[in-house]
Amino acid sequence: MFRSHWHPLLLLSPALVLLALLTLYPIGYSLMLAFTNTQYGGPMTFVGLDNFRDLFSDWFFNQATRNTIVFTLAASLTQVGLGLLLALLFHQPFRGRAWLLPLCIYPMMLSTLVCSSIWKAWLHYDFGWLNNFFDVLGIARVSWLSDPQTALAAIVLVDTWQWTPLAFLLLLAGLQAIPPDIEEAATLEGATSWQRFWHVRLPLVRAPLFLALLLRSIDAFKLFDKNYVLTGGGPAYSTETLSLLAYKQGFKFFHLGTASAIAVVMLIIALVLSLAYAWQVMRRPH
Amino acid sequence: MKPITAFSTTLLAGAMALTGVVQAADLVIAGRDGGYGDALQAGVDAYEAAHPGTDIELLKLPYGSLYEKLVIGMREGDSSFDLVMIDDTWAPEFMSNNWLAALNEDAVSQDFIPSLTDISRYPVGQGPLYSLPVVGNVAMFAYRSDLMDEPQSWDDVFRSAQNLKTNDRAGVVFRGTQGNPIVTGFLPMLWAYGGHIVDKDGNIALNSPATVEAIEAFVSLRDVAPTGVEVYNSGEVRDAIQQGKAAMAIEVWPSWVPSMDDPAVSQVVGQVNIVPPPGQVNESTPMLGVWQMGVSTHAEHADLAEDFLAFFTSADFQRQLTLEKGLPPTRTSVYLDDDVVAQYRWYPNQLNALRQGTARPRVQDWQQLESILGDYLQLALLGRLSAEQAAEQAHERMVASR
Repeated sequence: MFRSHWHPLLLLSPALVLLALLTLYPIGYSLMLAFTNTQYGGPMTFVGLDNFRDLFSDWFFNQATRNTIVFTLAASLTQVGLGLLLALLFHQPFRGRAWLLPLCIYPMMLSTLVCSSIWKAWLHYDFGWLNNFFDVLGIARVSWLSDPQTALAAIVLVDTWQWTPLAFLLLLAGLQAIPPDIEEAATLEGATSWQRFWHVRLPLVRAPLFLALLLRSIDAFKLFDKNYVLTGGGPAYSTETLSLLAYKQGFKFFHLGTASAIAVVMLIIALVLSLAYAWQVMRRPH
Repeated sequence: MKPITAFSTTLLAGAMALTGVVQAADLVIAGRDGGYGDALQAGVDAYEAAHPGTDIELLKLPYGSLYEKLVIGMREGDSSFDLVMIDDTWAPEFMSNNWLAALNEDAVSQDFIPSLTDISRYPVGQGPLYSLPVVGNVAMFAYRSDLMDEPQSWDDVFRSAQNLKTNDRAGVVFRGTQGNPIVTGFLPMLWAYGGHIVDKDGNIALNSPATVEAIEAFVSLRDVAPTGVEVYNSGEVRDAIQQGKAAMAIEVWPSWVPSMDDPAVSQVVGQVNIVPPPGQVNESTPMLGVWQMGVSTHAEHADLAEDFLAFFTSADFQRQLTLEKGLPPTRTSVYLDDDVVAQYRWYPNQLNALRQGTARPRVQDWQQLESILGDYLQLALLGRLSAEQAAEQAHERMVASR
């Protein structure tokens, strides 16, 4: 098809140049900055591994790392689990399905700042409807955002409300792509509902399932705006994340070396997470 | 239409549109959004009306974005902005780095409140004038005058809060969110107890017995504050006091105080008194939160920028902005104006607070020091650290950060 092996490369070159400029260059520059002591606009001093040594011995950084990982795992697993349940429900025909579907995906259409502001009001200890509802049920009020024990969980709740629809849509598409004759064959063979789910549907939606996990994990890992609006990273650093910390170091204090070191740590963790999921997505089913 | 004519017309229209887009304004102002942005817009409209043919471009930005854009622009030597609006805590960084041009001394009228023009100079009160104060913000103290007398000390505040706390009402409310909010509420207390973050020479001085006492007093307020105060910000403080859910607020700001007398949103109309915060070991030390405007050293339209600034800070226009937009003025004559006082009954108190007000430390790394103190203060508020540990560890971290 191509006259020489240079032709495909030539056609790809605009995209490759853009990728190199917009992705590889910033990553490379950040990597370099991470080993320097640099203030924005100031001279660059090479400091070796000092930035990383300082970070790993810092309680605040370790707390932010822990929060980021806990949040990523809790939010992405919850959202994909709930998304799967919803997808299974909507895979069956029932009355009002066409009306309920847009309603279910509505939270995803809101901007994160709007979503966070709404939930800030809902989670308010005195005025929030959640605690008012608890009053009606006779359950003790909860300090959702102001208790270090519950604040991160409350943000997982908000993120789950907003982003479960994404996992739901991906998994619903996956379920609907399963050829009906496979399920019919399983039914004719006498498979129970659970067996059909476990041995037929789940293996066949493995790819969209891991794709949903990958997408949600990457997004959850970058958590910034929700905790910025809802808690400011508090109380007592219980919702501080690596993104928030990197933002402060980079754009409030303009310590580019420290901010880049945090970004490099984030990159490594995200890469490990992504590779694990990507390996699962790319793996051929047995 | 022939294809070639259609093509030429489209090209011409495109070129004209492009010319319109890229045509430089006569003056570019970078300022805040929200209420301050509305006031700036009113200034731009009035100035353009008075000077036909002058085209002013106003960028309205949120607090964080404004700081980022200005610092990056100034460090890059960018000439995109002629006139910039800065928080007084940014002033030492902007002025000491020569990012602002010295203004003509004729711009300083004796009518400006002296404590405000002092921090428009660098070094404070002595050096050249780099900015003019445009928003006379100062942290005030609010209490329910129908329930209690004005507290004379922070001990009084705690005692009254204990007495007035009920199931439906907290004794006192404050911003407990980590970072800038918690520090802003705490500073007048710290100063009242005789503590300081930096000494006169700019060295860190947080590990003093006075600071420990101030933190202990601050932490004790949590017991008489609403549940969840640890993540309260301005909105929650305003709601608590306006809805009668708190008897006192240790930090209220002139920009939103007028809503307390607005029956559409407030349940305590006329029942809240706004005064300077109490003293303790020291006299009352209100904290200034003044917004200033200065001309960028890289400005391409410096003369026009100075002229606009003179117009915007003139007594007549400040009076108009105060009456129409509620913008806190920076001139004494406006605070004493009968019509203004009739509309804002607490303005005489606000003038006193501004006169005796203290600015946050004039150091270049204030953003970082504030962030460090905010982190440790909240750990103390939640009982994760004792007051002594918080003061000591914050002190050490501040020293290490320099």
